[in-house]
Amino acid sequence: MRVFFLIISVLCLTFFAQARSLDDIVESKYIVIAVYNDYLPFSANVDGEAIGIDVEIAKEIAASLDVELRLKWMTADESSEDDLRNNLWKGHFLDRTKADLMLRVPYDKDYKLKRDDVGLLVHEQVHMFAPYHTETWKIVFDTARLEAVPTMALFQYHPIGVEIDSIPQFYLMSAFRGSMRKNTRQFDSLLLAVQGMVNADVDAVMGLRSQITALHHQIQTTYSNEPQRFQLATNAFPLLGKQKWDIGMAVHADFRALGYSVGDIVFGMIDDGRMANIFAQHHAYFEIPEYYKE
Amino acid sequence: MLNKGKAKALSLSVLVSFAFAGSVNAQVTDNDIVNDHLTTNEVVTNGLGLHGQRYSTLDTINTQTVEDIRPVWAFSLGGEKQRGQESQPMIKDGVMYITGSYSRVFAIDARTGDELWQYEARLPDGIMPCCDVINRGVALYGDLVIFGTLDAKLVALNKDTGKVVWKKKVEDYKAGYSISAAPIVVKGKVITGIAGGEFGIVGKVRAYDASNGKLVWERPTVEGHMGYIVKDGKKIENGISGGAPGKTWPADLWKSGGAAPWLGGTYDADTDSLFFGTGNPAPWNSHLRPGDNYFSSSRLAIDPDTGKIKWHFQTTPHDGWDYDGVNEVVSFDYQEQGKTIKAAATADRNGFFYVLNRENGDFIRGFPFVDKITWAKGLNEDGSPIYDDSNRPGNPAASSDGKKGDSVVTAPSFLGGKNWMPMAFSQDTGLFYVPSNEWEMEIWNEPTAYKKGAAYLGAGFTIKALKDEYIGVLRAIDPKTGETVWRYNNYAPLWGGVLATAGNLVFTGNPEGYLIAFDAKTGEELYKFNTGSGIVGSPVTWEMDGEQYISVLSGWGGAVPLWGGDVAKRVKDLNQGGSVWTFKLPKKFAQLAQN
Repeated sequence: MRVFFLIISVLCLTFFAQARSLDDIVESKYIVIAVYNDYLPFSANVDGEAIGIDVEIAKEIAASLDVELRLKWMTADESSEDDLRNNLWKGHFLDRTKADLMLRVPYDKDYKLKRDDVGLLVHEQVHMFAPYHTETWKIVFDTARLEAVPTMALFQYHPIGVEIDSIPQFYLMSAFRGSMRKNTRQFDSLLLAVQGMVNADVDAVMGLRSQITALHHQIQTTYSNEPQRFQLATNAFPLLGKQKWDIGMAVHADFRALGYSVGDIVFGMIDDGRMANIFAQHHAYFEIPEYYKE
Repeated sequence: MLNKGKAKALSLSVLVSFAFAGSVNAQVTDNDIVNDHLTTNEVVTNGLGLHGQRYSTLDTINTQTVEDIRPVWAFSLGGEKQRGQESQPMIKDGVMYITGSYSRVFAIDARTGDELWQYEARLPDGIMPCCDVINRGVALYGDLVIFGTLDAKLVALNKDTGKVVWKKKVEDYKAGYSISAAPIVVKGKVITGIAGGEFGIVGKVRAYDASNGKLVWERPTVEGHMGYIVKDGKKIENGISGGAPGKTWPADLWKSGGAAPWLGGTYDADTDSLFFGTGNPAPWNSHLRPGDNYFSSSRLAIDPDTGKIKWHFQTTPHDGWDYDGVNEVVSFDYQEQGKTIKAAATADRNGFFYVLNRENGDFIRGFPFVDKITWAKGLNEDGSPIYDDSNRPGNPAASSDGKKGDSVVTAPSFLGGKNWMPMAFSQDTGLFYVPSNEWEMEIWNEPTAYKKGAAYLGAGFTIKALKDEYIGVLRAIDPKTGETVWRYNNYAPLWGGVLATAGNLVFTGNPEGYLIAFDAKTGEELYKFNTGSGIVGSPVTWEMDGEQYISVLSGWGGAVPLWGGDVAKRVKDLNQGGSVWTFKLPKKFAQLAQN
């Protein structure tokens, strides 16, 4: 038993134990990029096949660097902060493996400069860069039960689904003195919430715009005889703190050169429309971050 | 042919077991388990008895002789995997069984410290253990060594070979579940709770047939969920916990109410009750869930045959501070006005010590066991808290403008006046020996937070020591009066279990690495030994070959070093480790003392 385990752990160590410099990556002919597991349309490992927007972006980056792509699948911890620790700078808590690059990291100045309770920079171990799209919240609804969603006031009367432990859950259960609380139904994932809407358990679902738009396309395809039945709402979310934010990438703070290099690749992808195309292929709404509009 | 082959295999295994276990090779029976608190030659329960008193009738090592005890062997858990070692050793027929960090089990010759076998669970890299990769020990039954893994399985190993006899998935680790507590065996059933973070889990206590791992019953610890019992191989409905959903929860939050019974349980044979404590309710933001939120942060008395809840006592209704109610319930009797009171005591994360009637869960009395409590002004006559609303963490909705919310400072910190580390009760002094910590926390709403790249409303927090000189305090507490008879202050937070003996001694370990023996009546420090790494495990004692032994795991880790701030500064220079230290009083010194 013990001998067996030794062999296993040695194998793991030789396979991407450390975050590495650009030179080491190019020399070794592979790059390790961390993406979330089970998080469509961004990334998922479905029966051994890697699919999703972030997977396609990772492929482009590896191809541009002319190295082989090795994906490190992240199981999400309680916050992005934990994921940065587990995957980029400290390593996984079982075997201390790390990735060279991590995708789907918030690109937010306040977040980047966040300080801990003793005044130290929380994220000094990592370098965050290359915003690649802008994210926000969105509602999809069933026109069989809701004519339109002009304002949130509707959900004082109509049931709405949210993902557990998310901002939409906080928002719907606490905003407007909790007047939408009794109509808020929680689901383990957004996919289940949308299934709940299809099954008429709820009349609408609030979630991440990328996910909602991709799932909307999926149910439109399933209900092709009623193409207009499920609609995306354009309502505002009053009293919701962060209305929009950017998604970018991160590398270990010691390897900024890698960040600059990948930053150039991402800029190229935004510039020539490859990024928009990847989102379009996954039927997710794409918005260019402010960073590139100046 | 077939029969012959079987017989051959059998005789071989008999040979093997004899070779390992020496002369006696009895199995652990229900009788052994029920009488563990009376027998001195073995330790076959977590808690030195099902009631969890952690009291031994051995007195060869006593206030006179303790200075003469000496280490007889040390055993290294080895490898790079030196993390918190919170296991309590078990001893049967000269063999010690322990667990180590990363879901490992070791069988060790208790006389020599030689390893007999080792088992390592293969852990998937998707596990999300909340608070270090610890394990708190095994259960023994028949010829099985049973423990829970970080990927939420129960594994039963053959005690002689360490080979897997059965393995049972208790919950799906991918949904955020894990197991770190020692299971308990009562009436042939192995009973376990489950741990889980803020992933929308529902706490459950389950009983399995110890011989084959088949489910016997399951009992959700959140109001509204159906319990089940297995009859003739079929899982049949056995009543909804709390009667119906949503009585003490708004909307459908009961569906994911948390309340994980992650620390396991104790058992009282007098009332035939299991006692399990439950964790905090989910989500963490209490403003989303007005109501008591049954049965979070509670103690439950459960029928071991059916899994029915007999009574409950909620220490922190509508918890908003992460005061898990999981701490152990210790059954004990005391005399009052000529009557025997069948009581149970528990020292909660929230800083109050509760004495309950263990027959019906009625509140007898409660009192603070830490120096500072600010979340409540005291207890009502029924034991419920008198809240101080100004010290409830704020509503994140109030900070949805994107600004950091107001800070609230509350004592104790969420790591608790007392955390998981078990206290001891001495039948001689009638006192509880409670490992406690003096710290407070500052909590604020943190709008600059993200989860999987999605904006999130988090809570920022920091833990602060109340005093420069100490955080940890070992207290001797009189459960009849609430009086602290003596206290021992420790610089680092205490995180290890306590042992009381008829030798008028109390043993515990500290993060600085010392195993310390105190005079149970006065608190005078009589002996200490540096084990080389912090102690966060629980000491045990037993008798072997006419000599009294003491054993404890050493290996710094657990939840304390995971948090930053003030506390981290105090413990950052403590070195990791992973070993078992075993001491005894050599015969000649015991005889000298008698002369």
